[in-house]
Amino acid sequence: MSEPTVQHDFAADAERHRRDAPRHCPRCGASLAGGAGLSVEFWQGADRIFHTWCAGCRWTGDIIPTTEMIGHEIHNG
Amino acid sequence: MLTAEMNQQLTQIGHGTPMGALLRRYWYPVAFTRELAEFPVKRTRLLGEDFAVFKTPNGRCGILPEACPHRKASLAYGVVEPEGLRCPYHGWMFDHTGQCIDQPAERDDTNFAERVRAEAGRAQELGGLVWAYVGPPPAPQLPRFDVYVMDGVRDIGWCELPCSWLQIMENAVDPHHVEWLHGRYFDFVGRHEGFTSPSSFAKKHQKIGFTAFEWGIIKRRVLEGATEENDDWKIGHPLVFPYNMRVGGSGIEQMQIRVPIDDTHTRFMLYSTHAPAGGQFWEQPTVPDYQIPWIDDNGRHIVNYVEGQDIMTWVTQGPIADRTTEHLGRSDIGVTMLRRMFREQMEVVADGGDPLGVIREPHDRIDLPCERDKFHAGAQFALDFLAMGSSRYSPQLDALRKLHIGAADQVAAGKQPAAS
Repeated sequence: MSEPTVQHDFAADAERHRRDAPRHCPRCGASLAGGAGLSVEFWQGADRIFHTWCAGCRWTGDIIPTTEMIGHEIHNG
Repeated sequence: MLTAEMNQQLTQIGHGTPMGALLRRYWYPVAFTRELAEFPVKRTRLLGEDFAVFKTPNGRCGILPEACPHRKASLAYGVVEPEGLRCPYHGWMFDHTGQCIDQPAERDDTNFAERVRAEAGRAQELGGLVWAYVGPPPAPQLPRFDVYVMDGVRDIGWCELPCSWLQIMENAVDPHHVEWLHGRYFDFVGRHEGFTSPSSFAKKHQKIGFTAFEWGIIKRRVLEGATEENDDWKIGHPLVFPYNMRVGGSGIEQMQIRVPIDDTHTRFMLYSTHAPAGGQFWEQPTVPDYQIPWIDDNGRHIVNYVEGQDIMTWVTQGPIADRTTEHLGRSDIGVTMLRRMFREQMEVVADGGDPLGVIREPHDRIDLPCERDKFHAGAQFALDFLAMGSSRYSPQLDALRKLHIGAADQVAAGKQPAAS
């Protein structure tokens, strides 16, 4: 069995960012490409959060790709 | 994480770039008053362009692009005369507006000189610094922030760093780094070098917050053992958009200045005004400045003082940090907010407006919010600041220490109220 490839330069994360960063404003639909908006990705737990700003309508918000639907979590306390 | 395109947009500051257009709407310190007193013209690099800054005998300052419009020789080697700056090569003379007013080798009966105008900026002195505006006219007012005009003893440490100014600014909205870089790491270095690091810097963050306001972003923190009633949260201290951070406490008022020299170089300045209640201030005909060492003879960073640690992190991020492979977390929301603010303000400029912090009304003084009881450490903060920060390199160090100790004694003896 071959060893999994480790990308020391985090190229895979950069590629996922390019793939998933919002391309259009969710409110006005304007393109966010070509420097027309801003989308900063940060992580929290299993979530990837794209903090997004539209230069067209000034909408600001967080966009979180969803891979599974989670209901109420059991309180760990 | 950002795309390469967005990282480029946020970090390229040359003429014609969106960030360059934004940054050209502000005044920057480009020389010390002392320097132009010693010699009245000096070369300076700002926002990726080279300039000659000068002071004529009547006390008026000016700034012109370094290359003479005639044959491109350097005006930074020019002759300073009452009317302006004369090129050393063929004697062309330019006034403070950039208008060519003399071409000695040309005939008097032509209007050639009137047709030549250098793109002059504006320059003026404040607080021992010479400030320049090199953006589109009309120039806004030079903001008279409190630290530059208040009574006290001034002290300026500075250095030039081989990295983008933006990564230094991002540090200004990153409260958590204090407890690690200036706490745990400082303790680690201290244990190996044989000194005790200041405990006040190592207090754990319980909560951080950021509030946009008219001059930038107020940064707040609740440290362990404190509440939201403590100064660190209730008042906080501001990132002063787009290139400063106002800090202080216990009678030390400081502006941390990060002048963008070009995409990959920054002039870092720590402008401190020591003004403890009850302190006996002395006259300063010249504001002292001194270079902060940040790298040793072996090429290793000097990390046994606070700003040396900061500099290590800024410079080791690279000339321009690669934000396409970074991994931000929730604790980095201040960084995220700052990037958005830059992007928003670029748009304001593109739409023809004045960006955040540009002031056009004449004013005497702008007071910025800044906590007094920093890290709820009391007067000890001032002594830690002097011993463990860049002030250790100040030629005034002993006198400053006596100033703060004397002031604390006055307060303790009830002769002066503590700073409110």
